[in-house]
Amino acid sequence: MTELDDSDRDRSRDEVLAAEYAVGVLSFADRKRLEARIEREPAFALLVAQWEDRLSPLELAAEEVPPRTVYPKIEARLFGSPVTARGMRTGWWNSVALWRSVAFASLAAVVVMAALQQGLFGSAKPPAPLVASMTGEGSPLALHASYDAASGRIAVTPIAANAGQPRSLELWMVPGGDAAPVPLGVLPQDGRGVIEVPAALRAHLADGMTLAVSVEPPGGSPTGLPTGPVIAAGQARYP
Amino acid sequence: MPSLDIAGLIAKVAMGDRAALASLYSAVSPKLFAICLRILKDRTDAEDALQDVFVKIWQRADRYAATGVNPNGWLAAIARNQAIDMIRARRPVADTIGEEGLEIVDGSPDPEAVSIGLGEGRRIDRCMSELPPERADAVRNAYVEGLSYQELAERYSVPLNTMRTWLRRSLLKLKECLER
Repeated sequence: MTELDDSDRDRSRDEVLAAEYAVGVLSFADRKRLEARIEREPAFALLVAQWEDRLSPLELAAEEVPPRTVYPKIEARLFGSPVTARGMRTGWWNSVALWRSVAFASLAAVVVMAALQQGLFGSAKPPAPLVASMTGEGSPLALHASYDAASGRIAVTPIAANAGQPRSLELWMVPGGDAAPVPLGVLPQDGRGVIEVPAALRAHLADGMTLAVSVEPPGGSPTGLPTGPVIAAGQARYP
Repeated sequence: MPSLDIAGLIAKVAMGDRAALASLYSAVSPKLFAICLRILKDRTDAEDALQDVFVKIWQRADRYAATGVNPNGWLAAIARNQAIDMIRARRPVADTIGEEGLEIVDGSPDPEAVSIGLGEGRRIDRCMSELPPERADAVRNAYVEGLSYQELAERYSVPLNTMRTWLRRSLLKLKECLER
């Protein structure tokens, strides 16, 4: 056996961890740790995908038709209403623009507008989620919460609160030194809370990098540099 | 339904096509439900898991194209991972990552030099038959039933660390054989 350097050793260890994850033998906490790595390390995600693919012929051919009640629940969770037209994606998040345009006084005054939202979907009368926008006095940031009774989940989306005027929240990577902040994207308002980092920037996202959020015109900064106030910043590191 | 059609449906789902999600559900839910049921061994839990699986398929469909793997394997992995997460959360087992001392070296080429093998089909049977029968059996049961190291160790009446060594060595041997 030849000598292994550190990178070989890490790769070898990752190979084993990816295999153990794919087979499924690990504890819940270990699985969650590896899932976090899958999310942020494309190379590790690839190892796992390769193991899942490699082992998939072991899967049995068995089939069991699920009860009819399951699919409507999936649709209710994803769309808030049953499918009525082909190919339409009319999620309740479309109404976020509405919430953004409403000024909210204080955290104490949580506004619940499920009934109003129900009206947006016409006669279908879907099970509308319970929603609330939460903000503090003078805070430029609001959190839009939406409770979906069917799934028992609350989705929380950050939005910019600015009386009467829609604003976007934009995420920045701040390299430090004399380098200018680099825009990573506008915080998504689709409830998924995920920003796809452009491939060219991924190598720069490392331990010690500062991330910041600024308030920008709708759709993000027009100049490529932060134009509004920076309302949050922090250093990235591996836990 | 052929893999190509399934891949096409996943691509449509990635674009937000609800009707494609419904078609995909019709095509693959019996297979994915069987996976959940086998691992969770409870119909209500398996129904809940199946819901989560399709929510994830909807959310992650846009990532499928980048993986280049077999679509049925990709879907099955989502179902297995969901069911295994549920059963592990419910029946906790000891963590094993971090307490090393079991250095097992993978001497095969760098992963980037190896393309993902599609349609490995029956080759895996030949490679499994190269393992000692009991170890091949452990790999198969771990995969098919979603057993933990602890459950495997109990079933085969060996210490947990022995089971880890068995399984790790067997998996790396399997990989080496499949790439041969």
